[in-house]
Amino acid sequence: MQQTTRRRFLGATGTAWIVASAGCVGISDDAGVDSNGVDDLADADSPSSAENETGTGVEVSENGPPTVERTLPQEYGEDELEDAALSGGPPPDGIPSVDDPVFTAADDPPANLDDGDPVFGVELNGEAKAYPQYVLVWHEIVNDVVGGESVAITYCPLTGTAQGFYRGDVEFGVSGQLINSNLVMFDRPTESWWPQMPASGISGPHRGAVLEEFQVTWTTWERWREGHPDTVVLTEDTGFVRDYGGDPYGGYNPPSGYYSNDNTLFAPLATDDRLEKKAVVLGVRNADGTMAVPKERVRARRIVEGTVRDVPYVTVYDPSLDTGYVYRNPDDRSVEYDDGSVAVDGEDFEPDSLPLEREIAFDAMWFAWYGYYPSTVVHE
Amino acid sequence: MSTSDRFDVDLRGRFDTTWAAIALVFRRFDSTGIVLVLTVGYLGVFLWIVGDLSIRPAVPANVLIVDDPVARMFDRTGPASFEAIALLDTGFVRVLVSPVNVAIGLLVAVLVAVNLALTYLAVVQPAACGIGAGSGLLASLPALFSGTVCCGPVILIAFGIQASALLLTLFAWLLPIGIAMLLVSLVSVAGKIDATEPSV
Repeated sequence: MQQTTRRRFLGATGTAWIVASAGCVGISDDAGVDSNGVDDLADADSPSSAENETGTGVEVSENGPPTVERTLPQEYGEDELEDAALSGGPPPDGIPSVDDPVFTAADDPPANLDDGDPVFGVELNGEAKAYPQYVLVWHEIVNDVVGGESVAITYCPLTGTAQGFYRGDVEFGVSGQLINSNLVMFDRPTESWWPQMPASGISGPHRGAVLEEFQVTWTTWERWREGHPDTVVLTEDTGFVRDYGGDPYGGYNPPSGYYSNDNTLFAPLATDDRLEKKAVVLGVRNADGTMAVPKERVRARRIVEGTVRDVPYVTVYDPSLDTGYVYRNPDDRSVEYDDGSVAVDGEDFEPDSLPLEREIAFDAMWFAWYGYYPSTVVHE
Repeated sequence: MSTSDRFDVDLRGRFDTTWAAIALVFRRFDSTGIVLVLTVGYLGVFLWIVGDLSIRPAVPANVLIVDDPVARMFDRTGPASFEAIALLDTGFVRVLVSPVNVAIGLLVAVLVAVNLALTYLAVVQPAACGIGAGSGLLASLPALFSGTVCCGPVILIAFGIQASALLLTLFAWLLPIGIAMLLVSLVSVAGKIDATEPSV
């Protein structure tokens, strides 16, 4: 059960939505904005409402990807981020995205894919796909169609972040630039820069726009396959020859090299020593603010509670996928772990389907999360 | 004689001297052997460092060729690295065949090898010149630099060095700087060899 950010779109009515575009922390206290920062007015049945042609509440520009009206915490202005961009070495498309992905069934996986290898799982409109980390480490972006939706599955090896974006008719490529060690994508029609973690445009005609996201789950091949027997998995038939099976940065199964040591390629935008630099956190950013939950903590405690600007949140561990789901819990309902399931006000639910507002969360290395969101709270 | 005339004569003389010294290298079996061994060895290390050569004994023999290889081979993957157009698994080593990378690697490898072969001649024929091991060292430094040019950030990660804009810019220039240093070294060393000496 994925919560997306889709809402009705008020086009010509001049809906007063705010995307913080400069300066520090642009979080709004305005009433009428939900946790995703989508103006609630957009849900009103106003006779002056003008839906876009998809009717999904997503703004589709002529030459760009679908964007949404969200208020996201933005702790740096676009100019600051653009100035912070450094070339990682490759030119634009020097790390080639996979634009014609080829998949295989779960019972015939690629030979290099071991059960314990990380995959990025996506489930949209009933279709499940797995994207092996060992393939994406060479490409970072897969322009794909899942469940009838044109999407981009993106992965940054240096920050350990896998995120999904709706892309409409456009394709994303790897710019070769890095901000805060994090992948900077570009859309091919306008070549606007879109840093992955903030998911917002920082240059070109889409400066200040925010991409529409969906949940990508970082898990292992064995766990994903068992939870999604009908899944397909991305193959090495990418149209490019690469040393698939090798990883230029290290390895996850078992952890080694860059993924397990304390080195970063670039100095982060901000630093904090509450956690190890490469500690994996589940990060959430929305109109309430930003929060991070150390994955080790939620793995050990099963349920981690905290607040973001006085709004209660609860993170629930899912042992089947070794991941966590973050829920906004504004009514502070009772959430307790109950022998494999989760009880909300005494009633049992699966960890991924609590009757609460689920937020899009993604794994990230702590140094990268804090670098982008130094105002983050940490729930432990 | 004008300054430019003298310069022309000196340049031509330098070129002739260098060419004669290189010819001397290839008139001797021992120095020719050094060139061959060093060229192959350096090229192998170069391709390994840029990621085009790896040990994969568990992978069965296989060959893959991309679509439209001629167009693909000129696509850049780094400041001075280019796309592979084929993958060759031999059952022991895996080779990503990037013709431009091989050409760059071969150019640098030959320059390094000839430099070191000239240095070798200076050691075994001390009467022929007055140079020492310093020339070989001079040649090896840019060779080392240029070998890392195609994968600067990965090299930095391996050594735990935090990158800066300046350092990454420097990486982009290492290949031309390395080749220029090798050429200067070649001319310098060759100028100190008496190429008319009878070869062994």
